Amino acid sequence: MIVAVTVGSATGLHAREAARVAAVAASCPTPVWVRRDGGAPVPADSVLSLLTLAAPQGTELLLESASSSSLELVAQAIGAS
Amino acid sequence: MTAGIGAVLDPRAIRTTESAVDRLVAVHRCADVLEEIGAVERGYRPAMLERERLMSTWLGEGVAIPHGVDGSRALVRRDSLAVLRFPAGVPWDGGRVIVCVAIAVRGDGHLAVLSTLAGILLDPRRAAALRSSTDPAAIRAMLDPAEAVT
Repeated sequence: MIVAVTVGSATGLHAREAARVAAVAASCPTPVWVRRDGGAPVPADSVLSLLTLAAPQGTELLLESASSSSLELVAQAIGAS
Repeated sequence: MTAGIGAVLDPRAIRTTESAVDRLVAVHRCADVLEEIGAVERGYRPAMLERERLMSTWLGEGVAIPHGVDGSRALVRRDSLAVLRFPAGVPWDGGRVIVCVAIAVRGDGHLAVLSTLAGILLDPRRAAALRSSTDPAAIRAMLDPAEAVT
């Protein structure tokens, strides 16, 4: 399943934010993938992969996972301001 | 939205022959360079040390990205990066760092450069090239989002 989420942090998905999101994703039992619309999906539990998205506040990202609970956790982490 | 490398990475802020006995000294050197180029107020240094104490800025592939804690943004005069290369390596939170990309920013203008850096580190061949480069111009070109090879 896929959900859309908007980057909430005022400074975007920078180093600290990416580390926070990756830690949440790593704690999920099911892998979660993140991509920009039209972009290639990257694993949400990889700080480096998240940083490649270069996503400032307000960027819409698409999350995909086989688990709705994992999706929700990662979506919350990315959407948090 | 995002600035190119020209706006954030001053050629004077690329140092390729640094040495530091430990992570603390390396972060001090990063702060030295950011101060030298007029990028930050003096208070940014303790903010960088505090950030490193709270959580290592080690990114992987021999690279760390020292920067200040939340709340230190007001101490940034001009969004800037600095690249310090420690050829002998610096012990870092159980690993070893060869390159520090120090970050001092108020906004999100560095995200494109950070993305380029992350892309390099995900590619072992390009990561090795970044670690071994002794040419400031080449390092600058590698980190330039406009010139990035994907």
